[in-house]
Amino acid sequence: MERTPTVFLIDDDTDDQEIFSYAMKQADDSVNCIFADDGIHALEKIKAEENFVPDFIFIDINMPRMNGQQCLKEIKKIERLKNTPVFMYSTSADPSVIEENIQLGAAEFIVKPADVNDLTKILSRIVKQNVLALILLICFFGIVPFKSFGQTDTLRVKELKKLSVEDLMNIVVTSVSKSPEKLSEVASAIQVVTGEEIKRSGTLRLPGALRLATNMQVYSSGAHNTRISSRGFNGYPIDNTSFGNKLLVLIDGRTVYTPLLGGVYWDVQNVLLEDVKQIEVISGPGGSLWGANAVNGIVNIISKSAKETQGIYASGASGGSLKDFGALRYGSHIDTTFFYRVYAQRYDINSSTLANGIDAKDAWGISQGGFRMDYIPSTKSTFTLQGDLYDGKENDSASTLVNGQNMVARWTYRFSDKSGVTVQSYFDRTYRNVPGSFIDEFNTFDIDMQHNFSIGSRNKIVWGIGYRTADNSFNSAANTIQPNRKTLLLYSGFVQDQIAIIPERIDLTIGTKVLHNDYTGLEFQPTVRLAYFINDKNTLWASVSRAVRTPSRLDADIASPVSFKSENLLAYELGYRMQPIDNVSFSIATYYNQYTRLRSLDTNPASPSEFYFGNNLKANTSGIEVSAEAIVTSWWKVRGGYNWLHQKFATTSTLTYPQSYLLEAIDPQNQFLIQSMIEVAKHFQIDCIVRYVDVVPAALTLPSIPSYLTFDLRLAYNYKWVTVSVVGTNLAQKYHGSSGSIQIPRSIYGRITVSF
Amino acid sequence: MSHLLCGQNKTAPEYQVKAVFLYNFTQFIEWPPSSFKEPDDPFIIGIIGDDPFGSYLDETVAGERFGTHPIKIQRYNDVKNISNCQILYISSDDVETTKKILSAVSGKGVLTVSDVPNFYKWGGTVRFFTENNKIRLQINVDLSKAEELDISSKLLNVAKTN
Repeated sequence: MERTPTVFLIDDDTDDQEIFSYAMKQADDSVNCIFADDGIHALEKIKAEENFVPDFIFIDINMPRMNGQQCLKEIKKIERLKNTPVFMYSTSADPSVIEENIQLGAAEFIVKPADVNDLTKILSRIVKQNVLALILLICFFGIVPFKSFGQTDTLRVKELKKLSVEDLMNIVVTSVSKSPEKLSEVASAIQVVTGEEIKRSGTLRLPGALRLATNMQVYSSGAHNTRISSRGFNGYPIDNTSFGNKLLVLIDGRTVYTPLLGGVYWDVQNVLLEDVKQIEVISGPGGSLWGANAVNGIVNIISKSAKETQGIYASGASGGSLKDFGALRYGSHIDTTFFYRVYAQRYDINSSTLANGIDAKDAWGISQGGFRMDYIPSTKSTFTLQGDLYDGKENDSASTLVNGQNMVARWTYRFSDKSGVTVQSYFDRTYRNVPGSFIDEFNTFDIDMQHNFSIGSRNKIVWGIGYRTADNSFNSAANTIQPNRKTLLLYSGFVQDQIAIIPERIDLTIGTKVLHNDYTGLEFQPTVRLAYFINDKNTLWASVSRAVRTPSRLDADIASPVSFKSENLLAYELGYRMQPIDNVSFSIATYYNQYTRLRSLDTNPASPSEFYFGNNLKANTSGIEVSAEAIVTSWWKVRGGYNWLHQKFATTSTLTYPQSYLLEAIDPQNQFLIQSMIEVAKHFQIDCIVRYVDVVPAALTLPSIPSYLTFDLRLAYNYKWVTVSVVGTNLAQKYHGSSGSIQIPRSIYGRITVSF
Repeated sequence: MSHLLCGQNKTAPEYQVKAVFLYNFTQFIEWPPSSFKEPDDPFIIGIIGDDPFGSYLDETVAGERFGTHPIKIQRYNDVKNISNCQILYISSDDVETTKKILSAVSGKGVLTVSDVPNFYKWGGTVRFFTENNKIRLQINVDLSKAEELDISSKLLNVAKTN
């Protein structure tokens, strides 16, 4: 039986009822309109008719007896209307009223347009959201018959043996991401996003690619502002980053978090996504191999070698919130031992929108170029030299200017299958000028060496040493960070032994990182990891690690009666990885983290209006990360993940501002992402991402963000060396909240790519 | 829309297909008589180094024979005794290790197989490579002749040869 969509309008003005009814007929004449003359009437009707579940509810704000807002509150209490979107409908748009209604659970605030045609447009859009939900269903289940995995299309050995050699050569071979290859990663919550998955997501910038790792939490807080973390601790947003500071991010071996804040300026972390081989994300403390800041996770962005990127690649895109994007790369070689590539790219991104529909005026643009050379004189030895430079300008409170240059040299030598050495050095300059606020410049030089070898057949040892000097000059109008110029020195070393307790059954990894920094001196970060290989398809692992976050300049170089200490984490992890059948992999990681000496905002007892940073916050967090990947058929791959997080904060001093944890962690409890990649015939691709983010709690001055479910769709047609694609992002709603009052719009862009 | 999706290729895990290829070699290649002393001596497919096949290879050859010789899988940790096999899969991608293995079986009528791109250059006989997600073969015919391995034209026709 076909069901007629129903709209319930609660409005005391009968003229408005008529206009609404007319506009709705114009928008979609299959919709049935039901009216109530005021809030009391509406509630009486809802209570009297138990089967009455309208598809949409519209409430006028100004009504006698019970106003729209009270009516909204009452309706939100009714269980069966929990999922019915409620639209507030009024002649005036006072931002504070809008805010209040959204807080109470209204889906949207609509200003009554003067023209009935405008109302038709609005209603048409709202009704069509239902249609989009349907497309979403089709995207996952409709187009393709849902088959039980691993039976219909996968041939068994017997069948394969019957095939002729020619037929055997026509079998498409598949591999789902297997257990990590490096054994050191076996006992950790690692997720890998491949270049192909990035391409198929349609994303143009790094944060969108990182979001594909479902153990990451990536939230846009403006056209160029992004907050990124894993296992929570996504901090209060600030321009281009957040107060969050527990992530280690490496781009081809170069550490990119700023020692000024401990966080990452995401606006300037750009790579030519086409040349990204893969992104590895390890959530949790990264074991002993990695340095400071690897408290909640490590992001390792690895680009393809110059050999893998030979030829010309050119891509251009425009539309929606993207003003324009262009990229060009040329790769070639001098002989069979020397390969190189050069690239340039430019982004221009339109302003985002605030909750009341006001332009956030944060449009921006950035240009970047670079190169990579690989010299491979023998199969044992590889020498790489690569570099980038960028220059950007962005609007915000001021016209921020950013630029930077970096160069990395790396030499790898393999003595044998079991032993090798890598030496890497880089130079990195970053410059950020926020007129009227501050000028921040870093010149960083780093050199690292690592050596791996085996002792007997049971012990695999890796050790390394590193040295970094970061020369900072920070000149601000407020002059809070002192001295203006400071050189930060970091010495580090690590050693790790991986012991086959029972070969091919139980592996134990023990190791520690030792580092010395200017603020807190020597720090030890030991870890113990155990992997139990039940069989080649099932692995159980567990770990206990200690990690520290050493102070940033923001923590330690602001006048304070106390000296800031390192933040501590003791982490317990337990995980299971399995491949129940050949084309399906599944992984679950659970953790319990005890944080102590976290940064707190403390008051000076002598002068209570003065604040400084102390270490009087502690937290216990626990969580679950689930991820899965399935190659359903040769033309359909689905991957996705879910994570759940629970956090509990406490202060350890009466001097601490009780809400100071809200500077450190503003995190939703649940979220998931599913990516579907379908190859239709030979030349078409239909790709889709569905993601859900739970309610983000209100924090200090920021409102809470309602939960949202949204999806991206990519349609691509490829003919020889040309690919044309259309990508729609955040298609489920016109806008969804993300951070603060920033609204992320539905956006569609077109793209053309040429590569040969 | 679903009619567009018909006629797609079948899929199978990479190493399952490679395992079947290894088995198929026994159907398309003749080994010199000197390879076996007794009629019931096993035909050995050896793997040296890491084993990427899991249980696929064992499943594939279970109960199968090469003429009168039952096909067996043997896994080796070092170069000792490797010359008693007829097919040897080498997983190492290190040139020195590989050359050491290859010289140990040289002249013993062993068909050497690997996935490593330079295998051919280093003196191996058969290399698997992947093209458009399909398995392809590269065969060094001169070398197979030197080892007195008679490879059927059926197999050579579908392989890339030197």
